Amino acid sequence: MKNIIVKANAGALTNFEVLDLLNSRGASKDTTRVIASETVSRSEYKVYDYLMETAASTQTRDSVTKFSDKCKGFKLAKAEILNIINLRPSSDVELTPILEKPDEREIDIEGILALVQELLPPLPTVEAHKENEQEETEDGEQPNMETSV
Amino acid sequence: MFCLSELEDTVRVPPSDLNLPLEVAIKKALQKLFLDKVLSIGLCVSIYGIKSIEGGFVLPGDGAATYKVVFRIVVFRPFVGEVIAAKFKESDSNGLRLTLGFFEDVYVPAPLIPTPNRCEPDPYNRNQMRWVWKYGDDEFIIDDSCQQIKFRVENISYPPVPTERAEDAKPFAPMVVTGTIDDDGLGPVSWWEACAPISDDED
Repeated sequence: MKNIIVKANAGALTNFEVLDLLNSRGASKDTTRVIASETVSRSEYKVYDYLMETAASTQTRDSVTKFSDKCKGFKLAKAEILNIINLRPSSDVELTPILEKPDEREIDIEGILALVQELLPPLPTVEAHKENEQEETEDGEQPNMETSV
Repeated sequence: MFCLSELEDTVRVPPSDLNLPLEVAIKKALQKLFLDKVLSIGLCVSIYGIKSIEGGFVLPGDGAATYKVVFRIVVFRPFVGEVIAAKFKESDSNGLRLTLGFFEDVYVPAPLIPTPNRCEPDPYNRNQMRWVWKYGDDEFIIDDSCQQIKFRVENISYPPVPTERAEDAKPFAPMVVTGTIDDDGLGPVSWWEACAPISDDED
């Protein structure tokens, strides 16, 4: 099997960047899916649906870039900054599992949380989740999957 | 969770697509080859862009044009230690299975569920087992009423394609992510909501 990989890792992407890419191709939340399916395939839509429920759906390029610049003062690893942007933790208990050995490194947890609070937009509202919960069938299919073609 | 990878491959554009603009035809062929497929670097999620196209020769006996293409794809490949939010899919006596919608093979084996815990037959679903975490005097159930379950990636493996399989075996999973929910802040998000977040105005 010939090796077709030139570079396995040509750059990490935040969830926001992937969502932005899909948006620029024409992905959207409503029934215009049928029209956009020329440029966005079903499997790409599954990724889109997943990302729309995460912090990425309310982020902007500006806020993400500013955040990652300001993070340089906190001695965090690139992977940790990426993880924080993707999850947008709002409390100590949400931030600690992301960090590796936070106690040994003297990380300023309060400072990081304050920066998140200041620069990253809040998570999308939970109303959509509650809707899903009521209509959820036994095998856990989300209702908005029915509208995709 | 995602990263870019650069690949180079020989792509065959079938004669029916030769009336399309070249980039569109090649992208179509690439999507058919790579989209939603697992490579050694992870699950290919999207074609990011084409860097260069060479060739366009028509080999004897074949109506299609063959091109050598260098392109970049978006790959789903979580790193070990990454925390990811997922939804509950099913559980059995070996542990939990979580799903991300586009990727459904996230497993949390029994040893990585917080202890003390117990496994009991699910009263709502005959075929499933349900996991329950006992913390102090409270018991927390893990089932599909949990909206979001956060786990931390412990390992990613790419099992080789099996040559023989039992009739009723689960569909083969070419990429398996093993996760843990045994740490502060992991597991169903509702377990940790009681911990005071920094006051946001959102609810």
